[in-house]
Amino acid sequence: MVSIVIIASSLFGLSVVARQPDHVSILMPAPFADSTAELVKSFNQQNRGRIHLNVIKGPLETEAISDLAISSLLLGDTPFDGLLMDVTWVPKYAKAGWLESLDNYFSNNEVSALASGASEGNHYQGSLLRWPLTADIGLLYWRTDLMDQPPRTPQELESISQKLQSSGRVPYGYVWQGRQYEGLSCVFLEVIDGFGGDWFSAESGQIGLDKPAGLAAAQWLDGLIQRGVSPRAVTNFNESEALQSFKSGQAAFMRNWPYAWAELQKNDSQVKDKIAITTMVAQTGHQPAATLGSWGLSLLKGSAHPESTVEAFKFLTSEESQRYLYSQYGYTPTQKAIFNDQDLLKKHPSLQSIGEALAYARSRPETPVYAQVSDVLQRKLSGTLTGMTSPTAGMQQAEQSTTQVLEAAGAAP
Amino acid sequence: MPLLILLLPSLILLIAVFALPLFRYGWLSFHADSVMTGLVAIPNQGANWQRFIHDARYWQDLIQTLRFAFVSVTAEIVLGLIIALILNQPLRMRALIRSSSLIPWALPTTVMALGWRWIFNTPYGPIDRLMQSGLGQSLNALGEPSIAWITTVYADIWKTTPFVALILLAGLQTIPSDLYEAAKLEGASSWICLRRITIPLLLPYLGLALMFRLAQAFGVFDLVQVMTGGGPASSTESIALYAYWNALRFLDFGYSATIMIGSFLFLSSLILIAWLVITVARNRAAGVYAK
Repeated sequence: MVSIVIIASSLFGLSVVARQPDHVSILMPAPFADSTAELVKSFNQQNRGRIHLNVIKGPLETEAISDLAISSLLLGDTPFDGLLMDVTWVPKYAKAGWLESLDNYFSNNEVSALASGASEGNHYQGSLLRWPLTADIGLLYWRTDLMDQPPRTPQELESISQKLQSSGRVPYGYVWQGRQYEGLSCVFLEVIDGFGGDWFSAESGQIGLDKPAGLAAAQWLDGLIQRGVSPRAVTNFNESEALQSFKSGQAAFMRNWPYAWAELQKNDSQVKDKIAITTMVAQTGHQPAATLGSWGLSLLKGSAHPESTVEAFKFLTSEESQRYLYSQYGYTPTQKAIFNDQDLLKKHPSLQSIGEALAYARSRPETPVYAQVSDVLQRKLSGTLTGMTSPTAGMQQAEQSTTQVLEAAGAAP
Repeated sequence: MPLLILLLPSLILLIAVFALPLFRYGWLSFHADSVMTGLVAIPNQGANWQRFIHDARYWQDLIQTLRFAFVSVTAEIVLGLIIALILNQPLRMRALIRSSSLIPWALPTTVMALGWRWIFNTPYGPIDRLMQSGLGQSLNALGEPSIAWITTVYADIWKTTPFVALILLAGLQTIPSDLYEAAKLEGASSWICLRRITIPLLLPYLGLALMFRLAQAFGVFDLVQVMTGGGPASSTESIALYAYWNALRFLDFGYSATIMIGSFLFLSSLILIAWLVITVARNRAAGVYAK
């Protein structure tokens, strides 16, 4: 009897040693960790004994999660195998040498199955460093009960707003993100591109702020506040304040990300079933632009189980997972096939508009010093919007400071 | 010799947590160490310091940080003294009142900063609601550079006045009550008692509170980070926030170290001057007393 127990336990012990699963951990911002919880569970069930995936729930805010990831990466050996990354971090992390190339793990077919827009911002200097989980883009939300057609140009947006405001149908025309933070850079990118300009090109080193389109963009945004189309308080709005204002019926237009759609269709929303989405306005003759804000998974250098980590990436970004994440949480899919899925389109008509807007996706400047470049713009633009400087002076200073920052960082081409 | 051995453990600790990082940062401030150098330190012949001297943003942040520190600490000392005097009175339920007055200080800064961010929110916070219904005017508290810094000062006063009050209360309890009784017998008013007994005997405690608070306020970081993120138009950005962004957001450790060392030198010279002034004043006062 005793010997049986000993044999059984030693066998059991051996089998445990032999089947020790690969422990894979991925750091994600809190909302993503919550929405992928079910997927992680089924991945672990399917791979029992082989791989155990553990998603570490980080802070809520984009910059806070970057700070956390960077603090641990600086200490050397990374405690995570994978990191869910914002599109703007890729060049910086790549240059710092923290990312492992994914070129050997994803085939060309897989890359070309990505929807246009979703395929941007994953490469740096020719190698694939990030695999997209969701493709966020900036959208213009408009009220179908107040107008038949959305505006196509900045002038139209303003005149429709003023008409609606003077007839007392809405207190404000347009709400957006005017706080001094990354959201303001996203807003500005769409406007400057809509006026036919370009904020900053990392390849040529051209800065387009103190140019006609840059000035027109700053003047337009400033004018929206000056002329009362946007509330003064927009200078402290982030996404949630803009959403709150639009949701309570205070405005005719809102600039926001796709996640807002689901929030606006909830029962406590004053504008439920009265909204539609389109691309941002653009000057006649220029294409509209939608700031790309996608999130993707990156393999960190020093991971003990790169193969298993990539296997987890593939599971989390599979067509099936994307369908689930879109219908449950409104995460914009990254694969072409899903935008053509008739069943899904029937259930969620807004998917078509998102797919169309995705074709206009624009990346923010792809440079390792993006954070500095964006910081300068936010600072100077915030100064203009709060009446500290004129749009002309603001853009002049922004261009000068950008040049200085690039020179000091040794990033000027 | 045995004395030195006994002091050794704390000396080692001080060197490890204070001198070494300072030395390392001083060394780093003469190197380019950023994302563009692949996080490798390369000597750059004082380029960081050249940039530092001409960095208008740093000097703006320095002025803003000093403004924040002096306004908030002054208000905290005055209010803290008033609260300490009240709490020192024989009140009913004194223990309960004393401990509940510490609640703001006990709250984590980020939590209370988030609270104030909501309270000062326009148009959804209660302050703006009050302004709108009372004065019919909206207050764009966090979106207006001329007002936003005052809200951060306000939040800081709310949080740290109890700390000052606590130190001063401890000081008040060291003052023997017979001094007041003797003064009262001589016919001294409460005001005279406050000026001639309380304040002079409380001076060491006031100095202590002032030192703690100034050092903390000069390094203000979490409050501003959460409440305003440095905005609008960088009007609430502090030195610590700027240094932090250079290190963790911009991955420019060389320049971040320069900001830190520069601010350290500035603050140390400020303290040195204050110390000299106080010493001279004290010696002169002692001299007058001796005569």
